[in-house]
Amino acid sequence: MFTQAAAIQETTSDTMTDDAEQFADLVKEHQAMVFSMACRYLRNRALAEEIAQDVFLQLYRKLPTLESPDHVLHWLRWVTAHRLIDHSRQEKRRPQSPLEDVPEPAAAPDPTERADPLLSNMLRDLVAALPENARVVMILRYQEDLDPMDIARALDMPIATVKSHLQRSLATLREKLSHKKGVGV
Amino acid sequence: MRRIFLITVIAGWTAAQLPAQLLQLRITGLDGLASKAKESVDITLDSSLLQMAGGFLARNGKGSKDSQDITSLLTALKAITVRSFEFNETGQYRIEDLEPIRAQLRTPGWSKIISTQKQGEISEIYTRMEQGKVVGFAIIAAEPKELTIVAIEGTIDLKDLSKLGGLGVPSIPIPDQGKKGKQE
Amino acid sequence: MNLDDELRAALRREDPSPGFAQRAVARAKSNPEPTMAIPIFQPVRISQMIWAAALAAMLVIGLTATSEYRQRKAERAGRDAVLALRITAEKLNMTRDKVLKREEN
Repeated sequence: MFTQAAAIQETTSDTMTDDAEQFADLVKEHQAMVFSMACRYLRNRALAEEIAQDVFLQLYRKLPTLESPDHVLHWLRWVTAHRLIDHSRQEKRRPQSPLEDVPEPAAAPDPTERADPLLSNMLRDLVAALPENARVVMILRYQEDLDPMDIARALDMPIATVKSHLQRSLATLREKLSHKKGVGV
Repeated sequence: MRRIFLITVIAGWTAAQLPAQLLQLRITGLDGLASKAKESVDITLDSSLLQMAGGFLARNGKGSKDSQDITSLLTALKAITVRSFEFNETGQYRIEDLEPIRAQLRTPGWSKIISTQKQGEISEIYTRMEQGKVVGFAIIAAEPKELTIVAIEGTIDLKDLSKLGGLGVPSIPIPDQGKKGKQE
Repeated sequence: MNLDDELRAALRREDPSPGFAQRAVARAKSNPEPTMAIPIFQPVRISQMIWAAALAAMLVIGLTATSEYRQRKAERAGRDAVLALRITAEKLNMTRDKVLKREEN
């Protein structure tokens, strides 16, 4: 017999399955973005995965209030960026052991990568050494290919500040690269 | 059954009210005098106000002896009521107006310790004793152009009152409180 | 070399380790309830701040007014108590004088 309670249970169960499936699709769609932001920012794959997992758990709880795919994307960028900044601020306050300062070994070079793997690795290190806000701005600019206006929107930051971060960061990178390798850029 | 219940409740309530009524002197029958008086004082301080007054005087008395004496006196009191009228002319009140108050002071428990009467002037001091202690104190002072009623409730040592030199409180000859001293 | 292109290549997206999505789903299913901690980056609504400020102001005003009222009440009670004792003392004096005068006579 098909009772009302059974119908409710079935509906609830269906909804939960739908939610889980929808969530799994969202994770697959955005995991590279969230993880890469964390990885570039922290230069630590394990920690980056941990933070990315936290961000997706937060997304799961927030899903009912997010209205569109664009909204999800914007929310993920915003939360990831601020979570990373907050993480590094907390880390600064926490006394660190010398082992924690050792950078994570770089990922295995992509055989399809046309750029110089040594230069790429050096650039990742230099970006990861930038101040927190500037680092996030650079990651959104070059990883996510956002223009300054979109970065300003994503971070709730004045556009002039975004541009200033970009200019100063690029100048710093150029200077450090020329010192390190004598590369003219 | 319902009637018995009601009688029991009323009897219980009356019994509960009796001690309070006996102790509390109600100053009645003087309502119209304030409008005829040149000056009048109407003070009623219950225990909470007396507590506040004691606190205020302790804070503002700068630790003076008088202030300490008054504060310790006030802490032992439960209520003070003072009605005082000063008139321009005589005949503004009648001695009969005091009858409702004097009637209360004739009830068991109250003792008239001092009383003087002369040419329309009355001075009476009453005390109420409980277990050898003064727990109530009343003054009726009636003169041709002045009338004052004081009622104080609480544990009072009249000798303590007499110590309040700073206030002009006199050292009066207090009769043995065990006796009903009537001086008329 | 072009720094912009080099940066794009260096910071290109990378996938996390295999099974990342499954782990995220499993964690979400096993831990769906939000924690009691307030999310650090959740912006505090302006209206909430205004309400909180208004409530705090009302509380301070109320407490100050009550304190002032109690202070005035205590002051008045103190003055009344001294006046009441003064009148009592005066009348006791007067009665004593009358008794003494009568005894002398």
